[in-house]
Amino acid sequence: MRDPYQVLGVPSTATDEEVKKAYRNLARKYHPDNYQNNPLADLAQERMKEINEAYEEIQRQRKAGGQSGGSGASYTGAYGGYGGYSGGASSAGGTRFANVRAAIMRGELNLAEELLNASSDRGAEWHFLKGSVCYRRGWMDEAATYYERAVQMDPGNQEYRQALYMMNNRGYRPDGYENTRTSTCDANCMRCCTTWICCNLLGGGGYYIWCC
Amino acid sequence: MFGYVRPSVRRLSQEDQDRFSSMYCGLCHTLQRRYGLAARMILNYDLTFLAILLQDGTDCSGGCRRCVVHPLKKRPCAGQSQALDTAADYSVILSWWQIQDGIADHGFWGGLKYRLAGWLLGGAYRKARKVRPDFDENTRRHLEELAQLEKEGCPSIDRPADTFARLLSGAAGEVKEESRRRVLQQMLYHLGRWIYLTDAADDLSKDLRSGSYNPLPLRFGVENGALTPEGREALAQTMDRSVEMMAAAFELADFGVWTEMIRSVVYEGLYAVGGAVLNGTFHRRRKDREETQHER
Repeated sequence: MRDPYQVLGVPSTATDEEVKKAYRNLARKYHPDNYQNNPLADLAQERMKEINEAYEEIQRQRKAGGQSGGSGASYTGAYGGYGGYSGGASSAGGTRFANVRAAIMRGELNLAEELLNASSDRGAEWHFLKGSVCYRRGWMDEAATYYERAVQMDPGNQEYRQALYMMNNRGYRPDGYENTRTSTCDANCMRCCTTWICCNLLGGGGYYIWCC
Repeated sequence: MFGYVRPSVRRLSQEDQDRFSSMYCGLCHTLQRRYGLAARMILNYDLTFLAILLQDGTDCSGGCRRCVVHPLKKRPCAGQSQALDTAADYSVILSWWQIQDGIADHGFWGGLKYRLAGWLLGGAYRKARKVRPDFDENTRRHLEELAQLEKEGCPSIDRPADTFARLLSGAAGEVKEESRRRVLQQMLYHLGRWIYLTDAADDLSKDLRSGSYNPLPLRFGVENGALTPEGREALAQTMDRSVEMMAAAFELADFGVWTEMIRSVVYEGLYAVGGAVLNGTFHRRRKDREETQHER
């Protein structure tokens, strides 16, 4: 095992508070939410595991060494939740497209797409799964269109709303880079904002609107 | 099609800035060493960024050197490295195919400058093709696919962007370590997608005037020779998604001394350039920059 302090990027003389802060920042960075349906999710999961183990190891060492270990309960439960999904389309939810969901989970996107194209059922779930395939490929524009259509067709479905919400989630930002985006705001600023608010409502989300 | 990637200088320490310009000079010297003086004309920031991604996280300081462009003052310049060699070979191949595209797209008079460039770069290209046959084949195949989509007038923005993205992600094909290769392929895929969309936005008014293929007006609404505000916002959002995917991939590999530089690109530099292109202020900036480069 690598030196746990090196994994968290702090010196071994760091205070409990500093260790906890470093751990939290890394856990935020590699949080499963930032790698949902991402082809590199397995690498992020490995990093998360390494970070969790390092944090627990430091806690253990410090408790054994009689240092004040009381400040940090393990966050494993809160942040460790990688196993819960393997790619936007989980096996839970509808069962009509179980074979498509399984193909997406295995990363066999061409097969998933063939199965979808062959289907005559073009309901909400079909659009959601089309969106999942597009997203995994990096076809972000079409993914958004399919997800939006799925939510429109079945507004009560949490899985579809969640997918659209996660897509609009800005992901991890390092300190000092929180607000950067491709700003297109000029004289039409108010109209941009309206667009954003609409997206928010549709996604059912509670995320911030950055404008100008 | 290149010239959009640059770091956010205000975020970088002097040391990081110097390291970046030494890589730029290093690529220039590598191009000359491998392909002669004419090959230097293809140098740009995007290709320097490619060299940095392919570099294994170390810098390869080669001391200070004089050159044709900077004859009086010696400048810090990266020495030889495998990444610089690879980036130089890929640069020649990419540029040559881009020139061929220019010749095919223009008539006799308009195509003259492309034919001149193609003639100057012909020898270099034949040499590069011999060293990197796979990348040459990859580039040719994807550009052919792209030409086909253009001919059909493909109304999707994702499809042509995907073709260009796959072309660029091929540049990570020779990276040996598997997880690093996957990270680089993902970064280059979304960089390619972003470059394609940025370039389409940059060329929009020109393409609308000449009637050339551009997927943006087919996908989004156009009024008075520009995208509607809603269209621009939707385009900005989908470009953001690609930059975010690049950043998420970037966090999964160790880039050593280049970490701050790449961070400033994927968390700020690309957003700033994309914003400038969409707001129509990028060209003015490019012209300014070219003038200052000439003065230097």
